[in-house]
Amino acid sequence: MKLGYIALALAAALPLQAADAIRLNSKPGSLKVRIEGTSNIHDWQVEGKLIGGFMEVGQNFPMEPGKAAEPGKADAKVEAFIPVRSLRSVEKDGSPYSTKMDDVMYEKMRVTEFDRVHFRLQEMVLKEASKAKDAPNVFDAKGEVVVAGVTNTITLPGDGQLKIVGSIGLKMTDFKMEPPAPAIAMGIIKTGDPVTVKFEWLVVQKKAAAPAK
Amino acid sequence: MNEQYSLDFNRRDFLRSGSLATLMTMLGGVELIAQTTNAPGGADKPKGPRVKVAVIGVGPWGREILNTLARLPQADVVAVCDTYAPMAKRGATAAPGSTAVADYKTILEDKNITAVIIATPTHLHKDIAVEALKAGKHVYCEAPLAHTLEDARAIAQAAKAAPGLVFQSGLQLRSDPQRHFMLPFIRSGALGKFVMARAQYHRKQSWRQTSSSPEREKAVNWRLDKEVSLGLAGEIGCHPIDQATWYFNGLPKAVTGFGGIILHQDGRTVPDTIQAVLEFGNGVNMIYDATLANSFDSEYEMLYGSDAAVMMRESKAWMFKEVDSPLLGWEVYAKKETFHKETGITLMAGASKSSPDTVKEPEPFTNTPLSFALGNFLRNASDFSIATKDFVDSFGDDADALKEHLSKLARQPAAGYAEGYRSAVIAIKTNEAIMGAKRVEIKPELYELT
Repeated sequence: MKLGYIALALAAALPLQAADAIRLNSKPGSLKVRIEGTSNIHDWQVEGKLIGGFMEVGQNFPMEPGKAAEPGKADAKVEAFIPVRSLRSVEKDGSPYSTKMDDVMYEKMRVTEFDRVHFRLQEMVLKEASKAKDAPNVFDAKGEVVVAGVTNTITLPGDGQLKIVGSIGLKMTDFKMEPPAPAIAMGIIKTGDPVTVKFEWLVVQKKAAAPAK
Repeated sequence: MNEQYSLDFNRRDFLRSGSLATLMTMLGGVELIAQTTNAPGGADKPKGPRVKVAVIGVGPWGREILNTLARLPQADVVAVCDTYAPMAKRGATAAPGSTAVADYKTILEDKNITAVIIATPTHLHKDIAVEALKAGKHVYCEAPLAHTLEDARAIAQAAKAAPGLVFQSGLQLRSDPQRHFMLPFIRSGALGKFVMARAQYHRKQSWRQTSSSPEREKAVNWRLDKEVSLGLAGEIGCHPIDQATWYFNGLPKAVTGFGGIILHQDGRTVPDTIQAVLEFGNGVNMIYDATLANSFDSEYEMLYGSDAAVMMRESKAWMFKEVDSPLLGWEVYAKKETFHKETGITLMAGASKSSPDTVKEPEPFTNTPLSFALGNFLRNASDFSIATKDFVDSFGDDADALKEHLSKLARQPAAGYAEGYRSAVIAIKTNEAIMGAKRVEIKPELYELT
């Protein structure tokens, strides 16, 4: 399973921290993950509110709103994870759908062995620099979990925090996951292979502790 | 709802005998039944996370709980507790692999146990519930919460002060999918103008249990002692009365009661027959009567509206329409049953005249309101525990943010501390009215947790 490999790769990669990098930690409250998929009866969606992990950016990374990023590869490192059990099936409007479906999903994701989905950034390249104060820098990002190219939109709300908004197209079979076809009372439901993962992630720089007097 | 399953002739025996089906066929009504696709259990379905749980108090009702837990795949009963050793031992037999203990503090000290179910006599709930919450356990506390306002308030406040824990009051009808299926139907005005509510509980049984010693006999027959028991109104009536407050979306402003010891003149101080009228305002009242002296027509709940009446019974409901009521539309396609003096329409969600009759009587211990309530409790407890761990792993120990996160977590339907407290207030005041044969006002502020 791919997730297992990623967890190992993460452990090996941890010591690689640049001395002058700015570390931004995940901030609770406004995070959102949404996975959208299809089935033979209706479309389905899954939502979560937890993304853990951190982002590290170099000193030249644009932290102020409206500041254009330098062209080329961004000096950034991302290691993020989503606790699998924080993902819940929801109706289109976000209200809870079914704990039965949640359990089908957790089982397919082998939650007892891999209780998190990990993401590790490989490369982030500027696609479109910010042109106005409220305009985001748009990057193309490549990560370890997601094989296909990822388009990340980075908006800068200021105050030393970054909001990362993205959308990724994935296939369940790429992760050796057979699209679930749970047998329930209505008959056989078959889910489609492709899914879309959307996320909003807020990272914030930890305030340095006040020096002891 | 039925704390007396194991004591005497019970509701399911009544059902199995077929007399209920016959009776309903004779009466004429529209059947309203929820789908059961989301029902707990099922061999081929994922089992979900398991919860290590202990049951405190394993008398007849505690064993009913154990028998229900045995059929819930998410329940991992690791301990049973009873101060009376033979009861504890008997309880442990019903939950293979569990340990029998005499002191509930042993359970509270066990870090391995994440949730407790309290099924002791009502007057012994308070200390256990409050201490269990302090010990960081998720708590399911049987209804009524307590026999005094002080105890009920203490429990509810302890639960309110522990937002990281699940507290569920044993008002099991609030978790029943059938009742949830009925809610929008009733609230949408399909019954017309509310006229009144009525519920009954009729049994021919004494409630008295025999035991080996006079001390034990006194302890085990706590329900017959007016000093600690809220009687039929509290121990049984709390469920249908709470349901009426839920469906009406209102709370009684006053209650008048009557009661007497009519058949069982055995030294008890709690009436074996009661009647109560609860005033919901604007002339809408609920009439509740319960007796241990006559079993006719068992138990059911009624709601009367100007267009139709609804009868709820076990996991079924029927609608009886007035001849001048407007056509709702769907009843045309619903199944029809011939009743005593009229032809009624049988209704089920997801079923019509053309579909086969898939409705089965509930099997013992599964798909009962208690089973749904316990299943939802375990699911909520597990979700809370996992969400807390995930949150702390992701963001560290930020208590306020965690509280915020947990408050937004989707929960399976269940009565919380607020519903439990309000229900206890009504039970206590109803019992007060019955014991004094008088009208008792219930001030709105009494329902507030101060």
